[in-house]
Amino acid sequence: MPSHATTINSQLGDVPSQARVIVVDISDIPSLAVDLTDDKIQELWEQPIQKVITELQDAHSSGCKRIVVVTPLIGMSGAAGYSAQAAVAEAARIVVKSAARQWGKDGIVVNAVALESAAYGIDESVAGPVSIAPRAMTNEVSAKGIVQWLCSEAAGDVTGQTFIVDGGSWM
Amino acid sequence: MDVTTHTGTRLQDRVAIVTGAGQGVGEGIARRLGEEGATVILAARRAETGEPVAETIRAAGGIAECIVTDVAKGDSVQQCVDETVRRHGRLDIMVHNAFSGAVPHLLHEATMEKNWKLMSKTGVWACFFCARAAYPHLQESSRRGTGLGGGRLILITSPSGVEGSANIALYSPAKAAERAIAKSLAREWGPEGITVNCIAPVAGSPALAIAFERNPALKDAIEARTPLGRVGDITKDIGSVALFLASDDSSYVTGQTIVCDGGSFLGL
Repeated sequence: MPSHATTINSQLGDVPSQARVIVVDISDIPSLAVDLTDDKIQELWEQPIQKVITELQDAHSSGCKRIVVVTPLIGMSGAAGYSAQAAVAEAARIVVKSAARQWGKDGIVVNAVALESAAYGIDESVAGPVSIAPRAMTNEVSAKGIVQWLCSEAAGDVTGQTFIVDGGSWM
Repeated sequence: MDVTTHTGTRLQDRVAIVTGAGQGVGEGIARRLGEEGATVILAARRAETGEPVAETIRAAGGIAECIVTDVAKGDSVQQCVDETVRRHGRLDIMVHNAFSGAVPHLLHEATMEKNWKLMSKTGVWACFFCARAAYPHLQESSRRGTGLGGGRLILITSPSGVEGSANIALYSPAKAAERAIAKSLAREWGPEGITVNCIAPVAGSPALAIAFERNPALKDAIEARTPLGRVGDITKDIGSVALFLASDDSSYVTGQTIVCDGGSFLGL
């Protein structure tokens, strides 16, 4: 069975050669903080965040001018039982800002898309609600449109931003 | 009221561990908690830095001890917590402040890998080590609380963990991770009355003093961009925020980050 990140990636469509989309890959299996052994921390935190950093470095060395990181919203909201995965998600969202600040002078723009946690198989009934209000929209959401736009020339002056795609939960 | 000379009882009978308490922000927090009656364990990597701070707290009438601790090692953090509880019978407040490896680097240079490992270990892994070692004792603290009191986990992050940094690019995600951990644990532990919060300080740490020495214009630049016009004091400014989060006054506050930087960063 493909990972949630693979599935999300397959739904984003082709991007121009000078663009790179990095989909953060996290486990959907909850683990309480008290149960996080060293092996678990390595698996749930260290490996996924190092992968993001490596992919960012690779995008830079490959000459990409538009980089988009798709990350789960739980980094911003926190999630019970998913502290390690939330750490990855938020670290990925913020390293985007560092990259944007550092590489902006070279004409490289870097942005983040925070995707609703359900796309990553994370259940709000376990992790806790993202917002005090119900989701504004009822339809399924897709990050394809915003990712395609961020990879295009039209978004060339936008960098270091986070675009939330969750049907209007987190506002 | 001048809080630097105030001594009180807001944390009387509570036991606190502060990591990285041998200098800088950790030292300021340890001093302030000690001033309010907490028994303070200074978890420092070197006794040469931790013990003198403990001595100054004791000299002022407080209760403080240094336990040499390497926060990058889970066993070491566990031993610190176990020894604290063995000596004092409880642990109510865990403050994780220690951090190493934040030196200027480019995100795309290979040599930053070693720095990342240090930042990840002392920042993020250590949050998990502190959380899992302290948890049963914070639970117990909440059980014996009077309704307002309870276990407290306080993580020291940074404004850079919110806004990113061109200069120390990977410092920011490490500090951002700490904020996400705080929010997650606030949800996870909230039903048990344990609060988890972050402080994002800008204060006169030894690291900042070195940076000012290397670049004298930096101090003027920071003061100029800060509405309150100065760099924070580790005890009076930052320690007092930690005191609030450690005390009963903050019993309904959890999952939050208090940016304590004189108003320099207003993006939350």
